[in-house]
Amino acid sequence: MNTVLDKFAQAAQRPYEHVKAWKQERGVKAVGTLPMHFPAEIIHATGALPVIVQEMPDAITSGGGAMYPFFCGYTRSIVDQVTEDQLGFLDAIMFTDHCVQLLSAADVIRISRPETTIHFHQLIASLRQPWSLESSVKTLRELVADLEEVLGVVVTEEALRHSISVFNENRRLIRDLYQMRRTGQIQLRASQMQHIVKSSMVMDKETHNALLRELIASLKTSTAPRSDTVAIYVSGHLCHAPRPEILDLIEECGATIVDDDLYTGYRYVSTDVDAGIGDPIVALATAYIRKNDNVPCPTRIDPEVDWEEWLLGAVDRCGAQGLVVLLVKFCEPHYFAYPRIKAAFERNDVPHLMIETEHDGVAMENVRTKVESFVEMIKVQRAARAVAA
Amino acid sequence: MSAIITPEQRILGAEPPIAKKANRLQATKLNNQMVNAYWEDLFRAKEEGRLVCWTEGIQLNPILQAADIAWCHGEAAAALLAARKESAAPQAHMETLGYDRELCSYARTHIGCGVMNQSSTVEAQTLLNVDARTLGSRIPAPDMIISAYPFCSTGQQWDNELYRTFGKKVPIFNISMDWVWGNKSSAKYMSGPEFREKVAFLKKQLQDCVRFIEGITGKPYDWDRLSEIMKYTKRAAELRLEAMRLCKARPSPASFFEWTNSIAPVNFLPGGPEIVHYFEQKKAEIESRIAQGIGSVPVEKYRLWWDGIMNWNKIGWLSDKFAGYDACMVAGRYTHMGFWQEPQVIDLRDPLDGMAQNYITCPISISAPQVIEKIIEHCEYYEIDGLILHGARTCRAFSYPQYMIADAVGKRLGLPVAMFEGDMVDETFYKDEVVSSRVEAMLEAIDASRARMR
Repeated sequence: MNTVLDKFAQAAQRPYEHVKAWKQERGVKAVGTLPMHFPAEIIHATGALPVIVQEMPDAITSGGGAMYPFFCGYTRSIVDQVTEDQLGFLDAIMFTDHCVQLLSAADVIRISRPETTIHFHQLIASLRQPWSLESSVKTLRELVADLEEVLGVVVTEEALRHSISVFNENRRLIRDLYQMRRTGQIQLRASQMQHIVKSSMVMDKETHNALLRELIASLKTSTAPRSDTVAIYVSGHLCHAPRPEILDLIEECGATIVDDDLYTGYRYVSTDVDAGIGDPIVALATAYIRKNDNVPCPTRIDPEVDWEEWLLGAVDRCGAQGLVVLLVKFCEPHYFAYPRIKAAFERNDVPHLMIETEHDGVAMENVRTKVESFVEMIKVQRAARAVAA
Repeated sequence: MSAIITPEQRILGAEPPIAKKANRLQATKLNNQMVNAYWEDLFRAKEEGRLVCWTEGIQLNPILQAADIAWCHGEAAAALLAARKESAAPQAHMETLGYDRELCSYARTHIGCGVMNQSSTVEAQTLLNVDARTLGSRIPAPDMIISAYPFCSTGQQWDNELYRTFGKKVPIFNISMDWVWGNKSSAKYMSGPEFREKVAFLKKQLQDCVRFIEGITGKPYDWDRLSEIMKYTKRAAELRLEAMRLCKARPSPASFFEWTNSIAPVNFLPGGPEIVHYFEQKKAEIESRIAQGIGSVPVEKYRLWWDGIMNWNKIGWLSDKFAGYDACMVAGRYTHMGFWQEPQVIDLRDPLDGMAQNYITCPISISAPQVIEKIIEHCEYYEIDGLILHGARTCRAFSYPQYMIADAVGKRLGLPVAMFEGDMVDETFYKDEVVSSRVEAMLEAIDASRARMR
């Protein structure tokens, strides 16, 4: 088991070294994608390795001369990676998501390194228009045609169906782990779950699936009740991973993270593509539109779904006693959504704590004090309720 | 540089001496009258039984005007409040609710108006300390919201938040504006298959938007009236561009600040003979100034370009500040590259296509390579000596290409720049001391460059 987890951790911690080694070993191309909703199955169907470009923990250096400091850490990090010539191993970069900071970073990348092939196919962000599905299908067909031209390949329907099947299995296996963790059958730390998901974003999916199967077979399940720690749900970080140190810190303060809607977490695996839909592009577009029902994304426009109400339900379903919101500094969609989350949790008397994270560093001891107080408060409430009962 | 302040003055925290004042155009007073009349008319809309639409981003007002719907343009409302020093109240309401100050200040101010609007009951006034006499709370609540924001995802999210602020009870129509990224080399400014596809998609959504409007008004849409309104809008836009081009003259008869003060007629005022008359007056005054050799600043030693959105609570103040430096802000991206910037493509028999083309080529909707080429064209035409890059802290859509702009104009035109942070309507981000030192350094660089050339 540890060997498999170590492999996930290595790929998650040094993602680009893993990709470079894979390219060298297999002689395949690697196509970078930017978060959050890119259907990487399409790249997989070309034979290339899809790689989600990750925020790296390195300090921003030359990229700081290309972008104002009031942009989010992810976008400043990827610009810095380009200006520091760290992404040259990618054969192209593709993205589909309408986020002003992501678009800005991509435009800066294009000008800073004109030799980089970086293409944009905009998925409609407004999900409930009568034309949302049709528009998404059109966009994805254009993306396929563009990839065929850039990579010099032909993408067949059969290849797409196979890729969808492989990706669905990957999502299902990770969801199985989530379910076992929610119910207390297994004890995986949140940072280990992050390694599992993050490595899936950069590893070959078939290889990742094989490792997941191996991991699940080796895990010792338990029916013993969860330890006396406080069960916590973690929400936020919509497009990149929170530093694992923060997740570890939360769990060091007497809490157990039992579930999340993080991008490098459950959000990434929430929605399968319906293999029963005949046209695989229509199937991918449908999954994109429907994904918001499974885990709402505040970067999408969806009048029918309220993230705050969904979160209340998610916290309740997994038996968490509190919510920790990890909010990335300068993330405007999250800034819009957070006050409603705060109000909803206060209205329903569910404890919650917001922690703002920054690329340039978080005062960890300050966070520790906040989390310790939060956990103690929940314990006191729990004890008071037990006495009252 | 007569207005450069001394270290002693800095230590004492004195206001910079405004030794000279900008020479304001008389025609601008007419603009102010029209703007005041517009807002007063909007404040009365509900009493007069008219429907009200809240919108922001692109100029949808002609479409609404043709359906007899009153409109509140979000940025215009925020700018008005900032200019009249009343933006703090709605911003404070938003902060109380937990909205972060780093969020778009236009959105915070506009949504704050919605919160104040909802809080106008006696109980809410007591609880939230809302003063019903403030401008923010006088803006009538919407009967519909139309969202159409180019490039900036925050714009769509702003409308989504408004929709929720009003309890999801106000119908909303979401228009998606695709960005012309340019995946293929055939994609050029206003041409190429990618551009035409995006225009067609937007035009179709505008047609659907008209059906949405018909559903609310219960009346068939008056397409002839839209053409009539666009006739005035198009003519006003043409006159504005002609008048702006005249400012190539030395000294420049009008400044970027004057054009900022003339945004309303091409952004949110009703389309009619008044806006045409306004730009005729303005152009005539500019021609008269050229004939007499009168400049926008008393002494024009430097000709500058302003990149970035205006700091709306500082227009007059900055106008005088730069006049004090003997610097004329001749042109800028915000004014000279937007607001019906391509009127010639508007066919009055089928105005939606041309309108869509204008919407999709506004200065935040074209990508950085095209922005840079356009800026270089303008800088060469207006014979610019240096660039002011105002990084509006909470408008990332406008600010993001500025490092690239600075790099390009430096390399290709040899122009110095002064970059500083500020904001559109949250004046707490503006630091005058930083602005002064950076502007003075740039002007000294221009002086040094000129000395070397002699």
